[in-house]
Amino acid sequence: MVTETNTPGLRAREKAIAEQFIGGFPWIMVIWPLVNTSLWLALWPLVMTGALPLWAGFLIATVNMTAAYLPSHEAQHHIIVPEGSRWHWFNEFIGWYALIPMFAPLTVLRVTHFEHHRHTNDPLLDPDIPMAANSAWAAIGRALVKGQPRHDRYGMTLQRLGTSGAKTASLHAMLAKAVQYSMLAALAWSGHALEALLLWWLPLKIGLVYINFYLSWAPHRPMTGRGRYKDTRAFSSFFGNIGSSGMQYHIIHHLYPTIPLNRHPAAFRALRPILEERGCDLGGL
Amino acid sequence: MRVVGFLFGLGPILFGVGFLAPVIAAAITASGLDAPAGLSAVQFGLLTGIILGVIARQRRTWLW
Repeated sequence: MVTETNTPGLRAREKAIAEQFIGGFPWIMVIWPLVNTSLWLALWPLVMTGALPLWAGFLIATVNMTAAYLPSHEAQHHIIVPEGSRWHWFNEFIGWYALIPMFAPLTVLRVTHFEHHRHTNDPLLDPDIPMAANSAWAAIGRALVKGQPRHDRYGMTLQRLGTSGAKTASLHAMLAKAVQYSMLAALAWSGHALEALLLWWLPLKIGLVYINFYLSWAPHRPMTGRGRYKDTRAFSSFFGNIGSSGMQYHIIHHLYPTIPLNRHPAAFRALRPILEERGCDLGGL
Repeated sequence: MRVVGFLFGLGPILFGVGFLAPVIAAAITASGLDAPAGLSAVQFGLLTGIILGVIARQRRTWLW
């Protein structure tokens, strides 16, 4: 078995290959949230004026929710425009705008996601560890449990960190939750209860189960492996790479977080011999 | 900060009153059913929303 320490040449080769896939402007990750969030916002007048039936709005909103997270994930890693650029504000704009349907602050997701990278599968420190499960059905159950009052780890993670960034994120989280539920209540009590339920609340709950399943659980299952080449795996999804939000090749993201999502398949193919040599779980891909 | 913490601690009850109650009332009205015990749809929604909210707060879950 090769290890990280006994094969410095292997690591250098791996890095040289990976660096070929870093950089460039990921147009798809800019167009995607602009279309997705704008479409979700447009559902409200379309449904309220009767131009679109509520059931159709519900189906579209559910797709919108499942697609809302990924562009923000690219922004969390400063992939759209790197830090230090005079255009970095655009990276942040895309990150925030993508998350409007989920009403989640970019700051919260960035801080907690970086903790996930630092402590992947650590039972105490990984904010995504509540998704640990041995089977797909158990993972769906975990996602439902995670959505229950005071069951997620993100607030606890922000409190533990206690940095100025974490404090700002905590404030954003509280404000977002208060504003979101005030808006839901205002909609519901002003005669739009079913629209609030079927265009926002229920699609969000369904979307979060999907996101937690494919982004938190599937690439890390059963969430016990530790170490650079063991904590994340490749896998073959029944719904394909697009249907699983590009997560089949998530191992590439954990090795090189700034490679854009749309380049993961090509990077995986290029790095495959090295990953095999490292003994990574490639899930039959 | 304590006030904010207290309000967030009441989250499930506020959710029951603020969102669940009007959703239940709207569902009853949309389905053409009558609320039981001579209550209006809104009264039944509020009663159910508050009860479920209190239970969810105590048990920390809406599901079991």
